[in-house]
Amino acid sequence: MSGGDHGWKREEEDEADQEIDETSYKTQKDAILLAIEVSESMLEAPPASSSKKADRDSPVQAALKCAYHLMEQRIISNPKDMMGILLFGTNKSKFQDENDGRKGLGYPHCYLFTDLDVPAAEDVNKLKTLAEDGEDEDEVLKPTSETVSMSNVFFCANQIFTTRAANFGSRRLFIVTDNDSPHSSDKAARSAAAVRAKDLYDLGITIELFPITRGDEPFQVGNFYEDIIYHESFGEANSTDVRSSKSGDGLTLLNSLIANINSKQSAKRALFSNVPFEIAPGLKISVKGYNIVHRQTPARTCYIWLDGEKPQIAIGETTRVAEDSTRNVEKQEIKKAYKFGGEYVYFTPDEQKTLRDFGSPTIRILGFKPRKAIPIWASVKKATFIFPSEEDYVGSTRVYSALWQKLLKDDKVGIAWCITRSNAQPILAAIIPSKEQSDDDSGTPYLPSGLWIYPLPFADDIREIKAPGELARSSDDLTTQMRTIIQQLQLPKAMFNPKKYPNPSLQWHYRILQALALEDEVPEKVEDATEPKYRAISKRAGGYLEDWWETLEKEAGNAKQAKALKRDPDDALPERPAKRSRAGSEKPSGSILSQAQLKSAVENGTLAKMTVAQLKDVLGAKGLSTSGKKADLVERIEEWAEQGV
Amino acid sequence: MAEKEASIFIIDLGSSMAQSNHGRSESDLDWSMRYVWDKITDTVSANRKTLCVGVVGLRTDETNNKLQEDEGYENISVLQELGPMGMTALRDLQSSIGPSTTSTGDAISAIVVAVDMMATFTKKLKWTRKIYLVTDGQGAMDADDVEDIAKKINDSNIQLTILGVDFDDEEYGVKEEDKPPQKAENEQTLKTLANACTDGVFASIGEAIDQLDTPRVKSVKPYKTYDGSLTLGDPEKFPAAMNINVERYFKTHLARPLAASTVVVKPELGGSQSTETVDGGDMEGIEFSAVKQNRSYKVNDADAPGGKRDVEFESLAKGFEYGRTAVHISESEHNITKLESVKSFTIIGFIPWNKYELFLNMGEVCVTHARKFDEKSELALSSLVWALNEVESYAVARLVTKDGKDPQLVLLAPHVEPGLECLYDVPLPFAEDIRSYQFPPLDRVVTITGQTLKSEHRFLPSDDLNLAMSDYVDAMDISTYGVDDDGEPSEYAPIEESYNPSIHRINHAVKNRAIHPDGSVPTIPPILLQFSSPPEDLLSKNKDAIEALIEASDAKGKRRRDAVKPISGLDVDALLGDDKGTISPENPIPDFKNAIGTTESESEIEDAAKQMGDIIRSLVTESFGDSKHDQAMECIGVMREELINIEEPKFFNSFIRNFKKALLSGTLGGDRRDFWFKIRYGKLGLIDKTQADTSDVTLDDADQFYKQR
Repeated sequence: MSGGDHGWKREEEDEADQEIDETSYKTQKDAILLAIEVSESMLEAPPASSSKKADRDSPVQAALKCAYHLMEQRIISNPKDMMGILLFGTNKSKFQDENDGRKGLGYPHCYLFTDLDVPAAEDVNKLKTLAEDGEDEDEVLKPTSETVSMSNVFFCANQIFTTRAANFGSRRLFIVTDNDSPHSSDKAARSAAAVRAKDLYDLGITIELFPITRGDEPFQVGNFYEDIIYHESFGEANSTDVRSSKSGDGLTLLNSLIANINSKQSAKRALFSNVPFEIAPGLKISVKGYNIVHRQTPARTCYIWLDGEKPQIAIGETTRVAEDSTRNVEKQEIKKAYKFGGEYVYFTPDEQKTLRDFGSPTIRILGFKPRKAIPIWASVKKATFIFPSEEDYVGSTRVYSALWQKLLKDDKVGIAWCITRSNAQPILAAIIPSKEQSDDDSGTPYLPSGLWIYPLPFADDIREIKAPGELARSSDDLTTQMRTIIQQLQLPKAMFNPKKYPNPSLQWHYRILQALALEDEVPEKVEDATEPKYRAISKRAGGYLEDWWETLEKEAGNAKQAKALKRDPDDALPERPAKRSRAGSEKPSGSILSQAQLKSAVENGTLAKMTVAQLKDVLGAKGLSTSGKKADLVERIEEWAEQGV
Repeated sequence: MAEKEASIFIIDLGSSMAQSNHGRSESDLDWSMRYVWDKITDTVSANRKTLCVGVVGLRTDETNNKLQEDEGYENISVLQELGPMGMTALRDLQSSIGPSTTSTGDAISAIVVAVDMMATFTKKLKWTRKIYLVTDGQGAMDADDVEDIAKKINDSNIQLTILGVDFDDEEYGVKEEDKPPQKAENEQTLKTLANACTDGVFASIGEAIDQLDTPRVKSVKPYKTYDGSLTLGDPEKFPAAMNINVERYFKTHLARPLAASTVVVKPELGGSQSTETVDGGDMEGIEFSAVKQNRSYKVNDADAPGGKRDVEFESLAKGFEYGRTAVHISESEHNITKLESVKSFTIIGFIPWNKYELFLNMGEVCVTHARKFDEKSELALSSLVWALNEVESYAVARLVTKDGKDPQLVLLAPHVEPGLECLYDVPLPFAEDIRSYQFPPLDRVVTITGQTLKSEHRFLPSDDLNLAMSDYVDAMDISTYGVDDDGEPSEYAPIEESYNPSIHRINHAVKNRAIHPDGSVPTIPPILLQFSSPPEDLLSKNKDAIEALIEASDAKGKRRRDAVKPISGLDVDALLGDDKGTISPENPIPDFKNAIGTTESESEIEDAAKQMGDIIRSLVTESFGDSKHDQAMECIGVMREELINIEEPKFFNSFIRNFKKALLSGTLGGDRRDFWFKIRYGKLGLIDKTQADTSDVTLDDADQFYKQR
């Protein structure tokens, strides 16, 4: 492991992880505009209750708290992505402060509370004041008595996205409302809204509806919103489900809303799109790949310019210069060369390209194996989720579904040769099915059901293990005692649920940053869910651990004795010299002390110089009790020696 | 450190080696040299001072060896003394390898020369000593002293490998017909010699060359990733807590292909030759120089031209971004965001095997075993490993490999094999590492009206399809399809036999290029592609199952895109007013899509493209710095996409040609070269023939368009 070459490796890895779609001219960023309706009913507080768990938030309050929660989370999980908050139905109107001359006048009763941008600390603070502290000095949460035009709201959103998040790969409008039929008696207004909603669709802006309901009255999507909402994407026609948020069943409106919004928190970005999945020769379907599992790391440090009015992040630009002359180098002049025997072996760019070319992207099944054929250690990289798309091959979904069902039923996996993007390194992977989320036996209810590309190691990736050789082997008793301990200490629901374990270093990093950015107090300690629950372990398995420990002590003594016997005197194993000097120490082990040696040890008082283990060995060999402190052991041996001699 | 190794190659350069035999197009010498060059370039690429190579020419025109005073050592030349091998030595050697005009020279004598060289060079020190003899067995040799020589070889601990051109080899299954009697006799002599050596090998060079195809996996020294205790419970507060001394090593670690360095051709020399030294000391003949990256830093400044100005790197402080707020962290507090952690490896609980899925594995695996020579730890770990195996469970543990390192969660899986009882650990995801993307169910369809369909929908497999898939999957089982060394059925494509194609492809090509600087890039060795498609005979055996599956799946190519409609199916286009053709600067993209979607006439399309073009130009012209560049990019992208879809590339192509000129000539509000780079990067240039059939732009033209200024 040389430290020097880690830089480029990291870079390469990052490159491979980037979620680039084939529409490469777009920036792979996400922008969410949260549109919250402000109306009398949205502001209505829930009925008073004495219960501690009862709801206290009005729908607007819950939505704002939820927005605050979302903003905090996205700063950590999507640091480059944008977010904005638009209130509609307000008495006041406010638009972007730009000098475009359009101001708020164009969009009456739309109040742009947080403009669409990567949130700044001030935005977080301002939202917190309104949401958590309930302070509304500017009276933005005052509803209008007039009807707010939905087509106008949509066009307002259109303009915000077009100007602030131009060319983004993902743009989403989240609507939180309890009104399922705006403009119920005004067909022209409904049509106008439908037209403006189509504009949003044409812009690639997805509308996500988060209806709020009260009591048993359902939110009727059919009244208005089904003319507004489009299928998520062509080919996944199956996916539009609008989940209402409501108070009840022990869940507050806030929790229910957070759950619903969280499920859409990150934009569904494809890692690759429409790669042919060759299930058999002549049978291709198309799939998209998704990075569902992805290691989140703290953002890297950046450089900050402090000489201005307020601190600013300096944006770095890279230019390439030739080392010898420091003249600027143009891209075309740069060539690729491999170091070989202290020199460069050079390839033209075209040749270099052919070296990486193993054919166009494909996922090609070679055959099938039982799932057990893949050992647990055969892991080098995280897996990628694939899902069918009807875009290139009609019928992809049903074929994929048939394969998924078959593999699940027979507990099999596919083995596939995969090149998931052009010029990517080919890999061999197992195609593994994940169980239905609602399946009680599923160990991963937090993951979607479908097929995963699980990269297998190549022979090159396997490190040789130097087996330690001859080992002390646990007795059945000791193993049985450990079994009990294992059974006592199962994780909740007998599964590993990552959702229960936030990354402690990531959480700490952002807690501190947040405190610094918002000028709050820096916390001393944050909760670390990955720490073992020591108290519970002691409580549930303490006694069993003690039993196990006792047996272990005893067997360790015996094992040492056995080994010592075996080594002595002449057949010492030459290849294990370290062992003799370490475990054997200078003193002879108790069990091989001759009667005479023991006697002289007792007489000279050198027994006390022996270790506890050695003393126990001696006692064990004479069939005496080995319990108690060192002094007890010495005493017992002395007694025995006096009697026995 | 790997052992010191000295190899001497004796190469038969006799005139007979210039012939081509048995239908080969190469001369016997070139063919044999494939093996030798492969071995030598391996040494060169390892770039190690302790790997030494010497080369002796046999049946050379000249005579040049230390024993030449004696009789019988004529026509043997030392071409390279034993020493480390670099590119310069390689090139020198290349020029001296070629067939001679003589047919005399004694192979046995050459071996004696090599043994002598070896003895002089390695003395009595610890070396691995190897001598290779490559010959066609045509020269006369004196077989009298073979036994003495074999003894000398054995005494010196030398491994002797004799590789003959078309030598008979029963195991390999070759026998040369019409073998000249002289050659047959020589073969026998050499075989006797090889057999008399303890480490002697006698084989046909054909076999050796065949084996070159099997990639050699680079072995890496074990790397210890943790050395400390593995605990269960808190040993500080609870004395009976489990506390095992363990060591942890890599089990898998991603091997990566050789990295290419970025170099630049020196302007004064041009690029006729392909390789030259870039050694700092020797400046002669340098043709490439390494490329360094220079970074400059800018901040926003409304008063500066373009809205940005350069700042000195020295004036910058370190910090982090919180959203878009810059959080400055002073030098004294630079560790403030780092979690203080203490080295530990501790189990937090257990889960059954059947509740874990492989696709949660986050990466490379390590192996943990008891500290060596510590019986108590061996026993304790043994009990854990066996108990986990018996109750079919994994442990979940928290690992901090060193004080201050980020804690990780790992899954511990028991493993037992002779001489090893261990735990494999696999990194697990944290809460933040799981993205909650929603996907529709696969075994049912929920319709707009809320109905749940379990069958009879185009997204759901029919019974026929399910059956055909089931038959196909069963038929294509490869868990016992392969054949092992004993001819028994075994797993097909096992990990141990699958080699990373990228790594070995590049190694192969680089080695090849080092020997043949002017040759073309070799094709991919077939062994690297052996697992790129299903085994042929398995496919032909299951032709029927495959056909049945294709039939039942009824998967077809692209479907025509339907008109876009909201979930209600409302025809929104019908609601649009009369101003369909107008594209407003406020809403250009939807307007443009509507205009294109509702028109048929070419003049209307041309008009729409023209209006869009005007909007793009004014966006760029009005842009302060790059403030509206993204908007313009988006418009160009949409315009290009839509015009490709309706197969009217010419309107886009004429727009982009003029637009490029305008950008580069500075007529769109100043220096807009940055924007041109963006277009180039986003590949939004000319639409070529491969993108739209009706385009008159070739792929080459489109490429040139990006490159030209």
